[in-house]
Amino acid sequence: MEWFLANWSFIAGLAATHLSISIGPVIIGAILSVVLARVIPLRFVPPTRAVLGAIYAIPSLALFVALPAILGTKFIGPTNVLIALTLYVITSMYFSARDAFAQVPGAAVTTSRALGMSPRQLLLHVELPLAIPGLIAGLRVATASTISIASIGAVVGVRNLGYLFLDGFQRKIPEEIISGLVAIAVIALAFDVSLWLLGRALTPWRRLTVRTTPVRSSTVRRG
Amino acid sequence: MGNVGDLGAFGAWLSDGANWTGRYGLLNLIVEHLALTALSLLIAALIAIPVGLFIGHTGRGEIFVVGLGSLSRAIPTMGLLFALVLLLGVEFRELSVLLALSTIALPPLIAGAYSGVTTIPPSIRDSATAQGMTTWQLVRHVEVPLASPSLIGGLRIAFIQVVSTVVLAPLVGLGGLGFGIIQGLALRNYAQVTVSSLVIIVITITGERLIGFWQHRTKARLTPLDKLENP
Repeated sequence: MEWFLANWSFIAGLAATHLSISIGPVIIGAILSVVLARVIPLRFVPPTRAVLGAIYAIPSLALFVALPAILGTKFIGPTNVLIALTLYVITSMYFSARDAFAQVPGAAVTTSRALGMSPRQLLLHVELPLAIPGLIAGLRVATASTISIASIGAVVGVRNLGYLFLDGFQRKIPEEIISGLVAIAVIALAFDVSLWLLGRALTPWRRLTVRTTPVRSSTVRRG
Repeated sequence: MGNVGDLGAFGAWLSDGANWTGRYGLLNLIVEHLALTALSLLIAALIAIPVGLFIGHTGRGEIFVVGLGSLSRAIPTMGLLFALVLLLGVEFRELSVLLALSTIALPPLIAGAYSGVTTIPPSIRDSATAQGMTTWQLVRHVEVPLASPSLIGGLRIAFIQVVSTVVLAPLVGLGGLGFGIIQGLALRNYAQVTVSSLVIIVITITGERLIGFWQHRTKARLTPLDKLENP
């Protein structure tokens, strides 16, 4: 606690970097996941599943430093971390986005078509709103794991909260490591609650009827 | 391909025998990497599987499983590894790292065993009991076989978590394939970094696919039962 209080402005700076490195990949990854879930035809689902499953399994540090060989980026710095985090978001959120759209009741879709809605109207006014509970559930999982994995970026020179782990270990200050753990957990929790509230605000009709959406907890990845 | 010019550097690095042998040679690091992963999964499985089966069988301590799951989701494995190794002591580094990695593997393994048992249809357990099976027989011949696909699924997640953390072991003073990445980054030897990361990627995906295949096989063996249950 003492260490935390003595260094809180330093920690706040690292937290700001941590947020800036996590938010972009979550937003871009989420949009790409929804797009992919919509455009990939059924027969290409198994190969997509295989590729995303393989990327999901790759240790983050190995992916960070393997990207330069493929993309020609620099080894040190945020670019590889941003790309890798975006890929991880897609590997977890693509599946939940597919599930979310699959859960839209068929009756709602056929009724809207019968009412003369165009495919665009159908997507914007019927399918997307009805898929929101599943999409938010997937986004919550992806956000928590992104905030957690981002800390490994410290190893390749991104000074975020993960730096507290490296520095705390080298200087043998357990409080420093624990401060990092707590800070990351607090940020993850804050995002989780905000997304839950956002989901509630976007689906006012759900408060009338109780319905639960299964969360794919097995796709949580932390390191 | 971005750094095509570097392909020669990779080839040169790989064909230099000095990079393959010795304490920090590629061969030694591969063995160390696999041993750390397998041993920590084994230790975790010995604890987690009985605990998960017990909670699933008795229904006692379900809150514990749920709590453990959501707690572990918010904690980065990197911080957990560093904190545990520092607190357990750097004198017995190997043991500390093994214990830290096992801790990381516990939640998915417990969850896999637990959910495998709880999703068994009550009618199957009831008929086993009605045939006069003892508790031990029920666990041994009904619950464990039926829970095995979910159990192996938990092992798959635990494997991914542990492997991605093993890569960080050199940062706490051990070896493993992450060593080539950490040393290579420090010395700006990017051929070494790239080769190490590619070896890690190949090993990880192979391991994950093998466990996935095992899970698939186990599930396929149980499919006739599934059909009996929901024709």
